Amino acid sequence: MAGSQPAEQAVSGGCGAPAGGAPVQDAGNQAIVQGKVTKDGSPVQVGYARLLNSGGDFVAEVPLGEDGGFRFFAAPGDWTLRVLAPGGIRADRGVSAATGEIRELEVAV
Amino acid sequence: MSRSDVLVDADWVDAHRGDPGVVLVEVDEDTSAYDKGHIRGAVKLDWKADLQDPVRRDFVDRAGFEALLSQRGISNDDTVILYGGNNNWFAAYAYWYFKLYGHQNVKLLDGGRKKWELDSRELVTDVPRRPATSYAAREQDTSIRAFRDEVVAAIGARNLIDVRSPDEFAGRLLAPAHLPQEQAQRGGHVPTARNVPWSKAAEEDGTFKSDDALRALYGEAGLDFARDTIAYCRIGERSAHTWFVLHELLGQPNVKNYDGSWTEYGSLVGVPIKLGDES
Repeated sequence: MAGSQPAEQAVSGGCGAPAGGAPVQDAGNQAIVQGKVTKDGSPVQVGYARLLNSGGDFVAEVPLGEDGGFRFFAAPGDWTLRVLAPGGIRADRGVSAATGEIRELEVAV
Repeated sequence: MSRSDVLVDADWVDAHRGDPGVVLVEVDEDTSAYDKGHIRGAVKLDWKADLQDPVRRDFVDRAGFEALLSQRGISNDDTVILYGGNNNWFAAYAYWYFKLYGHQNVKLLDGGRKKWELDSRELVTDVPRRPATSYAAREQDTSIRAFRDEVVAAIGARNLIDVRSPDEFAGRLLAPAHLPQEQAQRGGHVPTARNVPWSKAAEEDGTFKSDDALRALYGEAGLDFARDTIAYCRIGERSAHTWFVLHELLGQPNVKNYDGSWTEYGSLVGVPIKLGDES
């Protein structure tokens, strides 16, 4: 499945967004925003996480993983995480990313 | 050309997917999405394994494309309906690719896999069996494909549209933010290119914006509709989405997709590069 795809393969192979986001061991020099989306305590498996910049413009999107997970490799700064899911579900969370750090979000919808 | 010539919606797919001569094709980079569930009757194409040469950086050749479509059971006369994930990036790329090899009747499902999923429509795991055909492709129509020397020659002479995110355009990121950022090539953009991220052409559910909204978008970004245009991104699939908008929806006559895109241009020795948010 996509979630187990090595990061190097995801980069060299193409541009697509693997479900749940490309895997990572540690932040290294990346500014990572990641987390999980839940509804009534269970993972939301069908849905999308979008990353918007501080101006509200779209930057990236991944389908949620089977565990409701998502991951972005952002630049340092302030971002908005937007979740879209069936049933018209739409939820926004603000997040600040920093180089070398993993910022975790739990989004209950 | 009108929208109905190049786009269908989900209701059309539900009504026509069993019709003779209609073939649904899901196109993804990560085909595990298809394997977990797809629109009933759809066959799959793998953006990389099926459409790229396994050795050289190029497309499969004409004979390879003929063999691929023959094996998938697609005929020259079929109406091919393409859809996929990533807001139809790879489906739009396949659309452009089918046109490159001369397939006449090809359309996109507006909104792709995302809108289909968000609307909670049926997905199945049954894989259809289609009898093999004898597909005949044409020579590549390079009037819609740009190569690197054309891009360099287009600086200041043609519209160059960089459809990556503003941070990639400026050189602050080297890849989309859903991917790790380590890359060997230089960051930045082709001088004189306008940055119109592909995402501005799409609604949140992945459907295309109206023709009026699209025309206003590119007009306000400084696109000269009287000039020829080359679109590029990182590897050519997001720019295929924009090629579809400009050439197929807005009817601009001379629009090319530069599939080498930034992974090629940003690694060329000696070509000009501009950093920052300005064109």
